[in-house]
Amino acid sequence: MGKARPGVLAAVVVAAGALTLTACGGGGSSSSSTGSAGGTPTKGGKITYLEIGEQFNNVDPQRVYTGEDLAFFSGTIFRTLTAYKFSKDAKEGTSIVPDLATDTGTVSDGGKTWTFTIRDGATFETGAAITCADVKYGVSRTFATDIITNGPQYAVSMLDIAKNADGTSAYAGPYKKTGQDLFDKAVTCSADGKTIVFHLNKPVPDFNYATTLSAFAPVPQAADTGEKYDDKPVSSGPYKISVYKKGKGGQFILVRNDKWTQDSDPYRHAYPDSWEVDFGLDPAVIDQRLISGAAADQTAISTLLTPASLPIVFNDPKFADRRTNEFDPYTRYIAVNQKKVPDLKTRQAIAVALDREALRTNAGGAFAGDYADGAIKPNIGVDYAPTGMWDGLLGKTIPATGDPDYAKQLLAGKTPTITFDYPNTPTNAKAAAIIVASEAKAGITVKPNPIEAGQYYGVVFDPAKAHELINAGWGADWPNASTVIPELFTPSGGFNLSQADDKAFNDASAAAKVELDRAKQATMWQDLNKKASEQVFIIPTRFGRDQRLPGAKIGNAYLWPAYGSWPYGDMYVKS
Amino acid sequence: MAVDVDTEARGADGVVAPEEIKGRSLSAIAWGRFRRDKTAMISLGVLIFLLLCALFAPLITSVMGLDPYEINRHAIDDIGMPLGCGKPDSAFFCGISWQHPFGVEPGTGRDLFSRLLYGLRISLLIAFSATTITVILGTVFGIVSGYLGGRTDAVIGRLMDIILAFPFLLIVLALSGVFTQRLTDLGVPEGNASRITYLILVFSIFGWPYLARIVRGQVLSVREREFVEASIAMGSGTRRILFKEILPNLWAPIMIYATLTLPTYIATEAVLSFLGVGVLPPTPTFGAILADSVQYMSIIPSYLLIPGVLLAIVVVTFNLVGDSVRDALDPRAGRV
Repeated sequence: MGKARPGVLAAVVVAAGALTLTACGGGGSSSSSTGSAGGTPTKGGKITYLEIGEQFNNVDPQRVYTGEDLAFFSGTIFRTLTAYKFSKDAKEGTSIVPDLATDTGTVSDGGKTWTFTIRDGATFETGAAITCADVKYGVSRTFATDIITNGPQYAVSMLDIAKNADGTSAYAGPYKKTGQDLFDKAVTCSADGKTIVFHLNKPVPDFNYATTLSAFAPVPQAADTGEKYDDKPVSSGPYKISVYKKGKGGQFILVRNDKWTQDSDPYRHAYPDSWEVDFGLDPAVIDQRLISGAAADQTAISTLLTPASLPIVFNDPKFADRRTNEFDPYTRYIAVNQKKVPDLKTRQAIAVALDREALRTNAGGAFAGDYADGAIKPNIGVDYAPTGMWDGLLGKTIPATGDPDYAKQLLAGKTPTITFDYPNTPTNAKAAAIIVASEAKAGITVKPNPIEAGQYYGVVFDPAKAHELINAGWGADWPNASTVIPELFTPSGGFNLSQADDKAFNDASAAAKVELDRAKQATMWQDLNKKASEQVFIIPTRFGRDQRLPGAKIGNAYLWPAYGSWPYGDMYVKS
Repeated sequence: MAVDVDTEARGADGVVAPEEIKGRSLSAIAWGRFRRDKTAMISLGVLIFLLLCALFAPLITSVMGLDPYEINRHAIDDIGMPLGCGKPDSAFFCGISWQHPFGVEPGTGRDLFSRLLYGLRISLLIAFSATTITVILGTVFGIVSGYLGGRTDAVIGRLMDIILAFPFLLIVLALSGVFTQRLTDLGVPEGNASRITYLILVFSIFGWPYLARIVRGQVLSVREREFVEASIAMGSGTRRILFKEILPNLWAPIMIYATLTLPTYIATEAVLSFLGVGVLPPTPTFGAILADSVQYMSIIPSYLLIPGVLLAIVVVTFNLVGDSVRDALDPRAGRV
């Protein structure tokens, strides 16, 4: 879930926008109420998904990488070796169960070899049985980074395949076939095609979490059309694509896959007969339709409510049993560029002076989330422990409204001028004004630098263009901080906006990544998280929340902790 | 609307009063017409009031104890709504108080009245500067092109065609980053100074061909007139003919064009800052305020309505004054 889907509410909101997400709301109720549960699930009906974007980012299983899309496609058309349990409970909902595999994998060789056995009777929509070769071929596509873009790169970084001098894999994917023999050695199939073995370059104790990503879903080699596979991938789940028309007024329709059998797939419930995604709708219109609840919209769902709808939905008791207000997977923060602000005291002063209370209020107060104290979010589980960032870690207890006097003391007469990069949206512009005003009280001059939202990442990932402070948000890919700490704070990470490169930190992070004792590993992540806060690699501002309103006739409409999404494989239409 | 001045100037007995005619220059006649136009005088009054407000914005806001940049945590509730807003029974004009006569911005509690006054300053600064440059460029190119004719006319004519063919909005959006950076490199202070300069330049560069075409057309007819021929015959230089003989005859179309262009620049600036090109936060502008307010349309309608109506008033009064100037200067060109 590292990256969020740009199509959803104000592009780049979640990953890049961070502060924009749930800008404001109204009313007093911030109590967390769970979605409609209870009742007996029934088969049949159609669930309509009202979508702001004019198409999916990607439908190709190896290219899907945003939380909501991963959940949707995994629940409907892509089977993976393992999958997350359907539950609204934070712990259960992030635990894994077997899906295409018969169990959650067998580990050997000290964590460097993982073996999965493929379930009998699993087929593609064509009727062809899914074999090890299909899974293997699917994984191999990740390596064709020129065509298969946007997807997670875990297979590339974890599999035991030599690297070229420039850091890219020696295997160039199934189209170019360079280094095919290396890949064939790293991923092997048994003679009967039932068992698949992954050989990893380092022990990865949580590899079976990575295999929940649709990047590890099977793809029949004969049907692979390369880049075009993104428009009509072959289904292995209970539904298949019948229509995919992009653009405003476009639709994506899933109908039942008659080759799928419940016996071969105990994981998915596949209650509704079909799914329909309506593209290119105005966010205000979507909210209005869900709020007024006309007959056709009672079986509709969408994602985040707009700020203006929150007071309506959360002040009216008639929505009490439908609305959801839960933690989303993301931590919102301001990355502090270590290359541009090398002085620790200055970084600490910037963090100390910041009025986090005003920032949170601007984003919607309690609806926007809780104050964050580090990169790791509590809903990740064992890896979280309070860092004490605001309770003495920076030398003093820092109130949420900031402590400009203490910041001045840390600066010892310095008056730095820094620039804040953010995606250009009205709410972010107000956040920038708050940052300017609160830092000014400590003698720090902040220059706002709005960047066009669609280009935001391209700009801030360029070390030549990134400034001192960078607005960001990140969510763990699975409940292990191995998808947070190394990604955010080491040079090899995929989201190191802080440009952190601390030798001791890198070594400790690498050691934690291969630690097989989960309890010990958790302590290591907690220490590193604390270190990152103390060193002010980032200024964590909020553990984000997410508010939604499903149609009245949708059953099992709870927020699924695994992806911070709807539990697509578990939802049904109430009769 | 056009009253026959000649009739007015005669006495009741129809005898022309000699000193009246002597005392009235072209501009005096125009001003006389303008003064009798009620719409014009009311618009002018509103306009002068707005201009004074903008000019003395810092004074007005400090007298009222307001600061457009101050974050007013006390004016908003826990989730950032202006006090009294966002409840099912909220009033239409929620968030408005004696202290904040136009209400406050949700999220930050910044005072809307002072932000709008400061926003007006920026809008007017950009619009006036851009109009001035547009008029200078348009007039000079128009006169030169019309009077010299031939190759010069052809070159300027094609240049104008090219500029008019550009999709203005697209270019402005696409080039803003690069050009602002370039201006900074050239020594214009970084930040808002560069961004405002960029807007003024872009408006002027894309605005002058319209005026130049009008001026060129006028010059084509004026240059054939006897006094120009006389001046040529007397051996005057080209510059003298252009600017001393021909230019004074062009003031009417130029004035008309300028007064009608100004409001379009104000509106365009608002559109651009709405789209996020333009002045940086926390500096307030109409467009940025409107862009933020549309999100809250359903729960804080006054937040959208007040800036929207104010912008409309500014643009409409400028337009009405422009129309009246045209009527006064050129009564025969009646409105369609």
